[in-house]
Amino acid sequence: MSRFMLSHYRRNVFLLMAAYLVLLLLLWPLTKSTSSLPLKAAYTLLPVLPMIAMLWLIARRVMDSDELQQRVHLIALSTATGVVSAASLAGGFLCATHVVELDGDVLVWIMPGLALVYAATRWLIARRYGGLGCA
Amino acid sequence: MKNHLRDLRDLHAWSQGELAEHLDVSRQTVNAIETGKYDPSLPLAFRIAKLFRQPIESIFEPGKD
Repeated sequence: MSRFMLSHYRRNVFLLMAAYLVLLLLLWPLTKSTSSLPLKAAYTLLPVLPMIAMLWLIARRVMDSDELQQRVHLIALSTATGVVSAASLAGGFLCATHVVELDGDVLVWIMPGLALVYAATRWLIARRYGGLGCA
Repeated sequence: MKNHLRDLRDLHAWSQGELAEHLDVSRQTVNAIETGKYDPSLPLAFRIAKLFRQPIESIFEPGKD
């Protein structure tokens, strides 16, 4: 990814994150005060839109990467998927047997969990190849 | 796998960044190939050979297994 494309990507990520936070802060209080179910669903789901746009941006970034960068992305994504899937399965079983009590709110942590493991793995793998900059 | 990419790059007095631009890859990928940390795919190896106008086997050598 060229320096221009990388700065363009970072600017778009920043704008989408800002949109996400603004929507969340503005709409979340409204979900508590409104009684209309469709409106409540719309308020709740609107902050998801910038995150979907960000996923699309990340996918394009991976597609624009060279073969080594794509390899690093793939290993990191596979690791993140495996770790979060195993944790979800374990949590689901523990919840089903009432060892722990979890409600639906815990699903909110899947995406941050994926992002965290993905970023940590990518950093570790990139170090093995001598660092991949910010690619 | 061993390679002579660094020697060839030095012959052309190119920086890693310049070679990366010629090959349409990142500078970090050129560095990883030169230091033997990454073996390029066959298409990239062919691009390298074409760029330096040398057969692949004169640039890349199999390492000890």
